[in-house]
Amino acid sequence: MKQHLGRQSGVQTVEVSLLDGKVEVTPKEDGQIDPAQLLKATYDSGVTATEMNMTARGKIVKDSSGSLALQVAPNRSFTLTPNELSKGLEAVADTPKMLTVRGELYEKPAGKQKADLSAPLKLLILEVQKKE
Amino acid sequence: MNTKKLALLALLVSIVSPVAQAQIKHIEMRVEGMT
Repeated sequence: MKQHLGRQSGVQTVEVSLLDGKVEVTPKEDGQIDPAQLLKATYDSGVTATEMNMTARGKIVKDSSGSLALQVAPNRSFTLTPNELSKGLEAVADTPKMLTVRGELYEKPAGKQKADLSAPLKLLILEVQKKE
Repeated sequence: MNTKKLALLALLVSIVSPVAQAQIKHIEMRVEGMT
């Protein structure tokens, strides 16, 4: 799995802890990493992902449907799952203000064996680390 | 003089720009079924 993930676009390093089932991926600075692709690659290597968290820096924007999203690259953004923290970010939507946030992109649905990988990943913000 | 100022400005921009870039910094997954 480590080699399989390491071959994905934009991946710099992959650290796997067999003991606690944790996989840490450090992206390259080229902005090419795609979390959905990583999730798919994990399943392709015969392992079930139960949770995926991401720390990212970006701008809050409003997408075409009016939902808030974190834009991490010119062509990549993640729609925010509404919660208390996301509500607090409405004021900085569509401003140049940059944020560093930690959030959950995926959690395995209870009872289901395989994820619906065709659905776009949504970001549930767990922590706003920095506003600039 | 102006050339020197422009060169200094270009240098500063090149230093600051990468820091200001948006990017995914880290991804962590929990997995089951690893052998």
